[in-house]
Amino acid sequence: MSEPVAKPKSSAALVQSRRNALRSYLGAYGFMAPAGVLVIIFFLIPVAIVLYLSVTNLASSNFTSDLAKMEFIGLKNYQTLLNDQFARKIFFNTIFYVLVTLSLFNVSLALIVSLLTTHIDRSAGFVFRALWILPRITSPVVYILIWKRMMAEAPFGILNQFNEFLGQPTYNYVATNPWVFVVVVNGFIGVSFGMIIFTSAIESIPKDLLNASLVDGSSRMQRIRYVILPLIRWPLLFVVTYQTLSLLTSFVEIQLLTDGGPGLYRTEVWSLTAYHRALSNYFGNAQWGYGSAFAVLLVMIGVVLAVIYMRVFRFDELVAEPRVEAL
Amino acid sequence: MEIRIDNLTKKFGDVVGVEDLTLHIEDGEFVAFLGPSGCGKTTTLLTLAGIYKPTDGLIRFGDRVVNTVQPKDRNIGMVFQSYALYPHMTIFQNIAYPLKLKKAPKNVQNEQVRQVANVMGIGELLDRRPGQLSGGQQQRVALGRALVKEPDVLLFDEPLSNLDARLRLTMRGEIKHLQKNLGITSIYVTHDQVEAMTMADRIAVMNGGHLQAFDAPDELYDRPKTRFVAGFVGNPPMNFLDVEVSPANGQFLAQADSIELPLGVERGEASAGHRGTVVMGIRPEDIQIVDEGDVRGEIFVVEPLGREDLIDVRIGPHSFILLADTEKQHRAGELVSLNFDMTQAQFFDPQTERSLLWHQ
Amino acid sequence: MTAREPLFDSAKSKADETPPSFQADLIEGLRLGFISILIALAAAFFFSGIVHPLFALGSVEETVMDVLTRLCLLALPFIAYIASASVARRYTATNISRALGLALTCAVILFAAISAGHYALNYGVFAPRPSLQMTLSQTEAGVRVETIAAGGAADKAEMQVGDVITAIRRDAVDLEAFNKRLSQAEAGAPLRLRFTRGAEEMQETVRVALVSDKQLNLLLPGLLFGLVFTAIIVFLPGHWAPYIALVGLLSPLIVGYFWVIVATFSYRTEGLVPLDSNDNFGGFTLKNWESIFAGNIAGLEFNIWPILMTSLAIAVLMTFVVLLVSSMAGYALSRMHFPGRRFFLSFTLILHGFPAITLLIPIFFVLLRLGDLPVIGDMVGFNTIGGIALVMVAFQLPLGVWLMKGFFDNIPWDMERSALIDGASRFRTYWEILLPQIRPGLLALGIFAFIGGWNAYIIPATYSIGSGLSNLPVFLNELIDETAPVDWNQVAAVGLFQLIPIFIFFIFAQEYLLNIYAGGTKGSS
Ligand SMILES: Nc1ncnc2c1ncn2[C@@H]1O[C@H](COP(=O)(O)OP(=O)(O)O)[C@@H](O)[C@H]1O
Ligand SMILES: [Mg+2]
Repeated sequence: MSEPVAKPKSSAALVQSRRNALRSYLGAYGFMAPAGVLVIIFFLIPVAIVLYLSVTNLASSNFTSDLAKMEFIGLKNYQTLLNDQFARKIFFNTIFYVLVTLSLFNVSLALIVSLLTTHIDRSAGFVFRALWILPRITSPVVYILIWKRMMAEAPFGILNQFNEFLGQPTYNYVATNPWVFVVVVNGFIGVSFGMIIFTSAIESIPKDLLNASLVDGSSRMQRIRYVILPLIRWPLLFVVTYQTLSLLTSFVEIQLLTDGGPGLYRTEVWSLTAYHRALSNYFGNAQWGYGSAFAVLLVMIGVVLAVIYMRVFRFDELVAEPRVEAL
Repeated sequence: MEIRIDNLTKKFGDVVGVEDLTLHIEDGEFVAFLGPSGCGKTTTLLTLAGIYKPTDGLIRFGDRVVNTVQPKDRNIGMVFQSYALYPHMTIFQNIAYPLKLKKAPKNVQNEQVRQVANVMGIGELLDRRPGQLSGGQQQRVALGRALVKEPDVLLFDEPLSNLDARLRLTMRGEIKHLQKNLGITSIYVTHDQVEAMTMADRIAVMNGGHLQAFDAPDELYDRPKTRFVAGFVGNPPMNFLDVEVSPANGQFLAQADSIELPLGVERGEASAGHRGTVVMGIRPEDIQIVDEGDVRGEIFVVEPLGREDLIDVRIGPHSFILLADTEKQHRAGELVSLNFDMTQAQFFDPQTERSLLWHQ
Repeated sequence: MTAREPLFDSAKSKADETPPSFQADLIEGLRLGFISILIALAAAFFFSGIVHPLFALGSVEETVMDVLTRLCLLALPFIAYIASASVARRYTATNISRALGLALTCAVILFAAISAGHYALNYGVFAPRPSLQMTLSQTEAGVRVETIAAGGAADKAEMQVGDVITAIRRDAVDLEAFNKRLSQAEAGAPLRLRFTRGAEEMQETVRVALVSDKQLNLLLPGLLFGLVFTAIIVFLPGHWAPYIALVGLLSPLIVGYFWVIVATFSYRTEGLVPLDSNDNFGGFTLKNWESIFAGNIAGLEFNIWPILMTSLAIAVLMTFVVLLVSSMAGYALSRMHFPGRRFFLSFTLILHGFPAITLLIPIFFVLLRLGDLPVIGDMVGFNTIGGIALVMVAFQLPLGVWLMKGFFDNIPWDMERSALIDGASRFRTYWEILLPQIRPGLLALGIFAFIGGWNAYIIPATYSIGSGLSNLPVFLNELIDETAPVDWNQVAAVGLFQLIPIFIFFIFAQEYLLNIYAGGTKGSS
């Protein structure tokens, strides 16, 4: 058979190819559907409602679950918020809390712990990591109880008991250093996430590579610096991004530990304010509208940070093109 | 099954996988795709398999245009370089998987898997998992899985490159034998020219996404149509030298600096027609060290290959690779005379790199 | 990774060469020591001089930087000793006297330098201390004034030698208590002393002064301590270092959890010590644990088993749904082409920045509406386990989708291609070929999801108000809200009860968690 070279695309083939592409998209959307539906129902719609609530004056005194009956007050909530003399302080508190906890604990300490536990006997490593996971899996109420007992004044506080034992004066730690405790208490919870991700990344580095570097004559410190750290760059970036957002939105521990105090908003962070304004008591005067305005701003901070991270860390590179195509 | 590829182009964004490939493969033929790594062999194969969508061009299996036919409807079997055995399935389940997907009855599956396994000599291994097999055994399983659905076309993507040299030799024979017995049209991708030369009926040499030549192995060797083909086919590779060809008392003379080589009429005329220098190619086996000769040079390096020595001889700025008997015990630094068998010399246009002898 | 070998390797293959002279080693040791001092000082300055003022601009009232600065300064001599001892450690195995001589010499010089710095800057032992500028002694009658510095605080307040101090304000003091009060006082703080002069009862207010007495004899214990520390560093086996570091870092948790365990087995505790009703050591009891199973805590009646079952049901249901939904989405994001793919991938990560708390009210509205739907409403509406689980699934999706995508990315493309050529559909490829190969990933995500579900409080508490559905965390909070006074040791017992299953679960599953980045055989084109 020697037909002349056929023109690449007959119209029938074109139609068929379009149909194939469509079918494969539908297949992909089928896979995405459950996640998509959940995201729409439990994120997108609620976010839209929050946006809407933030321009109403919904509070427990005029509560209604019928969106149409809520009273529209425009951007007044935002205006109040920006004029709130404490908004600025709370904003910087939040930045401080996220930056310091993230850099000291969620990233640095997590990295140190995973490096240490991968450089000792394997089963000992398992034990230490299991202990580090405790703060995350303990009920916050009990976890905070432990820390409060640790820091309490004499005679109940454990630290002060040590102080007395050593003949040192005793202190009211939480009152004098509230931020230290907010950071440390949350930090100890935060270590485990990074620890798990980093450890698994380090463990998945081919053993040949690790041994080769030692044979090449580098010390263990040099190996960590020049072999291990560059190889776990992606997990590092993921942990930074993910944990920034986690910290921005976490407030339960702070609420239990200091509830934003002592004094005026000394350790109050944005998400805690949103909670205080919108929810802190169901039957007192909870201002859902005003709280929603706080929430909207928090989400905006989170989105801006996430987008910046994605730029800086080139998340696009993670999204490789699929290597199977629709015909 | 006859395969006709016309003007096939496959691009990944701006990256060219393969461009304007036209190739007609006969029914039952064993064709090798040969070329350096990254030249588009795998891309072509996967496009044939229906994994990639052609950017342009037509692919026909027999009379059927398969451009938009799904992989599963093309009835092909494929053996991957990594074997791609399903690690969580037993060998039996691996081989039976294509049959299971075709909804073949259980007893038919059973029978066919055992039959294929026996042909491949892996009847004993059916209950094991891929992780428990050696590379050679995994290779057979992969082949068995490709064969079990009685495909019209068999595609191999560097199937032997992960095996040791000895096993590669036996598998080479077995695949060739099997293919001839079953008569299945086969395409075999490799970057190893020895594999291609020994197994294939015809070889498609590719470079940079372009087809360089499509011919029987002997033809490629004796009458290479491009400089790339001449250099890529043959081991050790052909020596190249820029020469000027001019007529000299009824004969021709190829000249480069102090080297002067007499040339027969046929080759002389073909290459002398070209103005300026041309590229002369001569294979190592067509150069001999002789006691007395016109061209003299100095041995630069001697590499023992076992039966022969690979010798690098320098003549002025030029270097020639050639083969010599080990018993001659040549040493580096030795001065030797060379004899060039100019009846085998090839000539290429330095710009187009096409052969001056064999290009129509 | 081989265990055992020391983390802090000394430089390689020094043994073959002729050892450098003692002086050369000494200089290298001192150089390292001083460099680490500079680094510690720089860090201290960074915290107190840069970060703290920056945040103060934003009116953050924090002492974290203060603590960090003090930690740097406290650690400074030790870091210097360790750094200089690292040179000496090269000889520990071969020439102990040389190693020790080298390290101790370095330590003495470094100590002298640091002390000189302290002296010049009035820091450390030379730091000014609160003082009343008089010497005291304990007598039977009270604290007797022995000498008074002329022009000092006590002199200004017209205290006299021979006065016997009995109380500060209304608190009776002995010498120990007096010194303790003094050490906590700030400069200028007024202390109203009651004392007897002869037979007369008198009061006088003395203002606390800051005095730096620069007593050099205070240095001796410091030097001794430094030398012992250095000697220990010289002899410490290298492979102990990571263990020591780990235990050190973990010590707050070790102490804290030790306390909580003790507390659940006792009536009350002071510090780490369990006490009985007479304030003596003892008072152990099993009642905190027994009452969990007896179903009555301070009058609050409950049955622990249905609560346990609810916890389990929420956690298990949620884990399965998270695994299914995330792996499907992860598969599509990793393996398939479709418009919106990039968007969805970055979007899921951003979703994590949406705080659950701020969405509680709107989700409440959504669940109310869902509950009105026929059939579906009974499964996932307000006040149903299904509804609670789905909300929590949604909040786990960002992590789940990203983890799953990463795992699928690691599987060679040839697997997928091979399955497609064998005749499988995309769904079968996902279900039969790829899913079994990311089992470690499913387990890892399963653990995260299970932990999340098991400990979930806010969402179950919000969406099952008054329905009688409660899981362990909700129950725990009920316990705190509805008993008064709250018996914290009892609360701790319930908390530990909740912790135990998941801790055991984690111990057994840890191996799989560590596979988050493993997987995949070898790369493919
Ligand atoms: N899925 C893909 N996406 C992008 N570029 C690809 C893809 N597959 C192959 N390429 C590129 O196409 C070219 C040919 O690759 P390939 O066919 O794998 O070469 P070969 O198999 O001959 O070694 C290379 O430059 C390669 O980088
Ligand atoms: Mg290839």
